[in-house]
Amino acid sequence: MNARGGYDHLAPLFVELAGLPEDSDERRETRARLVTEHMPVAEHIARRFAHQGAPLDDLSQVAKIGLINAVDRFDPQHGADFMSFAVPTIMGEVRRHIRDTSWAVHVPRRLKEMRLAIGGAITELSQRLGRAPTPSQIAEHLKISREEVFEGLEATNAHHSLSLDYLLTDDPDSASLADTLGGDDPELSVVDAREALYPLIKRLPERQQKIITLRFFGNLTQTQIADQLGISQMHVSRLLAKSLDQLRAGLVDS
Amino acid sequence: MTTSEESARVEDEIEIRVGADPAQLPVLRAVANVLAMRRDFDLDAISDMKMGVDEACSMLILKAAKGSVLTCQFFPGKGEVRMVATALSDSDDWPDAGSFGWHVLSTLADEVDASVSPAAADPGGFLLRIELVKRVKG
Repeated sequence: MNARGGYDHLAPLFVELAGLPEDSDERRETRARLVTEHMPVAEHIARRFAHQGAPLDDLSQVAKIGLINAVDRFDPQHGADFMSFAVPTIMGEVRRHIRDTSWAVHVPRRLKEMRLAIGGAITELSQRLGRAPTPSQIAEHLKISREEVFEGLEATNAHHSLSLDYLLTDDPDSASLADTLGGDDPELSVVDAREALYPLIKRLPERQQKIITLRFFGNLTQTQIADQLGISQMHVSRLLAKSLDQLRAGLVDS
Repeated sequence: MTTSEESARVEDEIEIRVGADPAQLPVLRAVANVLAMRRDFDLDAISDMKMGVDEACSMLILKAAKGSVLTCQFFPGKGEVRMVATALSDSDDWPDAGSFGWHVLSTLADEVDASVSPAAADPGGFLLRIELVKRVKG
């Protein structure tokens, strides 16, 4: 099933929505239709996270809220298509929910909020700048000190050492999502010559194969890869580090 | 005055000596992370720096003689961080520039260099060196 293709026909509705006057009935109807039609996307994402232990019903609710936010915030003028905007938005909402309800490492409330604010700032600034922001830019954006940003980024690292890292990659279904979201797939054949390596890369989960290929053979930055796969730069960074570890372990064994 | 306008100073240099053991990699990664962050690298570059140090030191650890010491020096300079790592090895087969690790390193860092030289008579062997530079873009 090609989830992206399945929703292409709705694209003109977003343009229409943007042109409709606030508070008009047409606007409400168009918005409702966009939300309803995209509902399977929210359901799909909720199910994907369900094996984490959180009740599916809760996740579905959260995912739907994410979807509504995505419909409201999506700007068709921006160039990107709705799916590549909606999927990370919905996933972000679901992940935040899981994190907030099952916070395994004790992190003070203030830091927790800071971390969320920083996460939001990174997404926003990356989109605006077209590249990853620096700590100074994040500080300026949030009107906080650089030290606070440093602290927040460290807290982020601490948190991501949890099994959340493996959320998507260890899911045998994740390939289908990667396929759905993926754009051009640079040929893995560049590495054919590296005999020891090729079978090892092929053994990685599909999403990691893709990230490794894009980063090291397609020379994309992490932010560009994140954009293409609809996940955060930090997630790309973690998956890259994890993949390199796995490849290294494999090369030593062979 | 921003960080990138400061010139390199000796007091900024950092030297770490650890056992040439993969278990020490998180320490080196953490230092790389903090340095890049405080140099105001963008998040991609911070992550590249961290992975680059990880990769370079892993390569070294794989070749290092059993029980030897890995010395890792960081030189934060104007808009860049330079890392130089050395370890003793029984072999002078270094570096393997055709390896995946080397390719990864060349992608992550702006500059990569490696060399090998005979070590002092005691304990003998060879001194392997690897160096990488990560720069602020723009």
